[in-house]
Amino acid sequence: MSATLPRRRASELGLGILAVIVAAFGYLLVQLAQKPDVPPDLWVILASVLALFIGAHVAVRRLAPDSDPVLLPLAALLNGLGFVTVARIDPGLGRIQAVWTAVSVAAFVLTLLFVRRIRTLERYRYTFLFVGMVALLLPLAPGLGKTINGARLWVGIGPVNFQPGEAAKVMLVLFFAAYLVDKRELLARGTRRIGGLRIPELRHLGPLLLAWGISILVMVRETDLGQAMLLFALCGLMLYVATDRIAYVLAAVVLFVGASVVAYSAFGHVQTRVQTWIDPFRYANNKGYQLVQGLFGFAAGGFAGTGLGLGNPKQIPNAATDFVFAAVGEELGLLGAVAVLIALLLIVGAGLRIATRAERPFPKLFATGLTAIIALQSFVIIGGVTRTIPLTGVTLPFISYGGSSLVANWVILALLLRMSDDNARGAPNRRSTVAARAP
Amino acid sequence: MNPAIRRVGVALIVLLLLLVGQLTYLQLVDANSLNHNPHNTRALLQNANRPRGDIVTADGVVVAHSVKVSDGTVFKYLRQYPTKELFSQVVGYQSFLFGSTGVERTYNRDLTGQSLQLQLNNVGGLLSGNQITGTAVLSMRADLQRAAQQALGFQRGSVVLLDVKSGQILAMYSTPSYDPNPLAVHSNTLAQAAFTALNQNPDRPSLPRAYRERYPPGSSFKTITASAALETGVATPQTNFPTLTQLTLPQTTSTLKNFGGESCGGSLVDSFTFSCNTTFGRLGLQLGDQFVPAMAKFGIGSAPPLDVSPGAVPSLGPPAGSFQQNQPLFALAGIGQGDDAVTPLQMALVADGIANGGVIMQPRVVQEIRDSNDKLVQRFSPTPWMTATTPQVAAAVTQMMVSVVQRGTGTGAQIPGVTVAGKTGTAQTVQGANPHAWFVAFAPAEAPRFAVAVLVEHGGNAGNDATGGRVAAPIAAQMLKLALGIR
Repeated sequence: MSATLPRRRASELGLGILAVIVAAFGYLLVQLAQKPDVPPDLWVILASVLALFIGAHVAVRRLAPDSDPVLLPLAALLNGLGFVTVARIDPGLGRIQAVWTAVSVAAFVLTLLFVRRIRTLERYRYTFLFVGMVALLLPLAPGLGKTINGARLWVGIGPVNFQPGEAAKVMLVLFFAAYLVDKRELLARGTRRIGGLRIPELRHLGPLLLAWGISILVMVRETDLGQAMLLFALCGLMLYVATDRIAYVLAAVVLFVGASVVAYSAFGHVQTRVQTWIDPFRYANNKGYQLVQGLFGFAAGGFAGTGLGLGNPKQIPNAATDFVFAAVGEELGLLGAVAVLIALLLIVGAGLRIATRAERPFPKLFATGLTAIIALQSFVIIGGVTRTIPLTGVTLPFISYGGSSLVANWVILALLLRMSDDNARGAPNRRSTVAARAP
Repeated sequence: MNPAIRRVGVALIVLLLLLVGQLTYLQLVDANSLNHNPHNTRALLQNANRPRGDIVTADGVVVAHSVKVSDGTVFKYLRQYPTKELFSQVVGYQSFLFGSTGVERTYNRDLTGQSLQLQLNNVGGLLSGNQITGTAVLSMRADLQRAAQQALGFQRGSVVLLDVKSGQILAMYSTPSYDPNPLAVHSNTLAQAAFTALNQNPDRPSLPRAYRERYPPGSSFKTITASAALETGVATPQTNFPTLTQLTLPQTTSTLKNFGGESCGGSLVDSFTFSCNTTFGRLGLQLGDQFVPAMAKFGIGSAPPLDVSPGAVPSLGPPAGSFQQNQPLFALAGIGQGDDAVTPLQMALVADGIANGGVIMQPRVVQEIRDSNDKLVQRFSPTPWMTATTPQVAAAVTQMMVSVVQRGTGTGAQIPGVTVAGKTGTAQTVQGANPHAWFVAFAPAEAPRFAVAVLVEHGGNAGNDATGGRVAAPIAAQMLKLALGIR
């Protein structure tokens, strides 16, 4: 244990500095594309990015010294690339994103500081369920809630707007994990038989379905179908992992198809999304404009991209938020876009490795759920922007402009590192733990 | 739980790989078609924000230039056309909304400094970050263009004047024309309004009639019929034809009459000089299925490779090999009626072929590209387009065309001290409408320098009394005189 400790943290530091250099060079290129002088604030940016990373790194050294070494550098790389892209599209948004990055790193450190044992979280499952629900409902509260781009997801306090749904997602995953770990035996076994299917008793499944149903209804009310879809998939996925019964996946798929049909007939904007997905060019000048402009962005980028600062990503509406990946694809090309996907893939791999190495069921399920948030959210938005699936507006983890999402993702990162550190520390005691648990 | 987590892992990886696949499709496989999608304005915006060189005439008049502006739009330059409607049908316009046309489009890479020659010339500039632009120098002359505009006046029609040896176009104007400036403005609303108004105008001023509209050529087409007859041996200049007032067409009961119901005939030279329909109708029949290939050698059926975008439309004749099914059509084709439909540019090229010993040159409006320092980058050398006929036939037809101007239907095109070769055309259109007046010519006949085609739609100001000789020949003479420098 002690032999691997310095090596792990040293890799983290080295990889992280590489990520900082990538971000700083990206910023330099964007500025050079506008005028051929080295920007005077380059050193300020470089120093702040470096300081932020070093701060996070020192916190990990102190608070989770045995944790996975690649997660933090990967997050730094994506966050840095996201800042460069957002600042390139709108320097004003870039400044706000810089502040949010600092807030996010602070949230990361605070999470590591306060969540010393992941077990503690497990204990407060119903508290988190309650807080998560309240957070979900907040935007509907009169006076507090704000509607932006047709979705009532925001809460405005003074000049700051944030999306409590981003935090709610993490809390709901926490509740699901804790609850499922408790009831998984009962859910897996099932006592009643209907036809050939064994159905668990409703009282075991009830609270889960209730929490899930309410969350989805609320999100539908807020016309945040992307998040509803995401939560739906997360719940099905965690139920499957907890019980190892494929029947839950099938049930989730059936329900999903049913819900999609209902959503399609009930919501005009769902129909729009499907129509523009099937034939975007037919609506190129109206409802498909954004998608089509995004596709043109990818095409303009081609293999190697136009180069940072040299494309026209501003042609795409909302290029800094939902369509940030199209901006990446345009200026960094297929190479850059696939690099982002690989970074996300590595995060997913590291997250699931943490899950499989965890000893106790709760961190296993919790780590799987948190990783799945990042993976599914990335798939939903990148798939939507690239016309792989119908478009739903969610943020691209670590890259899109948006404070709440950024903070939530850094908190997820801290929780994963906490569990990773627990795994490494727990290893020598494994035998005794298993023995103690044995009946 | 671990096997389930691994399965979830595999599923998530498959999803992300699916995205890699779709990205590869978008950015490599489908990229080209997306880049050329008509809704895609990215390339245009990039172009719009590149410094763009001037377009100037051979006599140094700026017809298109860019002005640096900061009007709060995404555009850095405003394209302006100081000569307004005078050159719009050749130079075109560059618009963010509607794309670009004309020379602006054909020579886009040269104007924006992207062509290989310009890049090679500016290796030093590339390193220092200086963006270069190219200047497109037209072969066209503003004075000749203005003369064509004035000669046509309010009459609808076209004038095409070209340099015989090089195929360079010196003037190409048609009325009505339009001012391209409102289309190039940065306000989408204003540009759209101008575009809509232009396209809804029933006079179709945006149509470059000189190279994109086809008309029946009438007797001006007899230049081609005579060349075909001489080349195939169907007739010689001295072959005698019966004097008739009308020719009964085979396979029908209808007849082909001479202009004004006159009787004419005699030698081929006389028939040509006085534009005798019965003789040329008969030649059309005698040529039969040899006629269409002979027309093809003059470029009928092919689009002239004009360096303007969109290009020239091809001129038409009767279908090849259709003589047996439809003989009267070939008699009509012999006098430039029936299926014959030609652009004014094509008729100027016919004159060019006769004047140039049988070889038609490729028509061009741009003669060279210069860089921002006025250094020559590229000069476009004259290229033959078609071999229309032999030098001997061309010489014989030239003699007949000289005769037209000296003693025939085209005396209106005489220039003191210069031998002009020409051919009139008075083309019937639809029942009740006045005929189109044509004149194709070149001068001097002994050593041809300039060729011209003039078309005045529906007789112009002369109305029903119009003939090619009365309406079009004087305009042709005026253009030739100016080009030759005769005051």
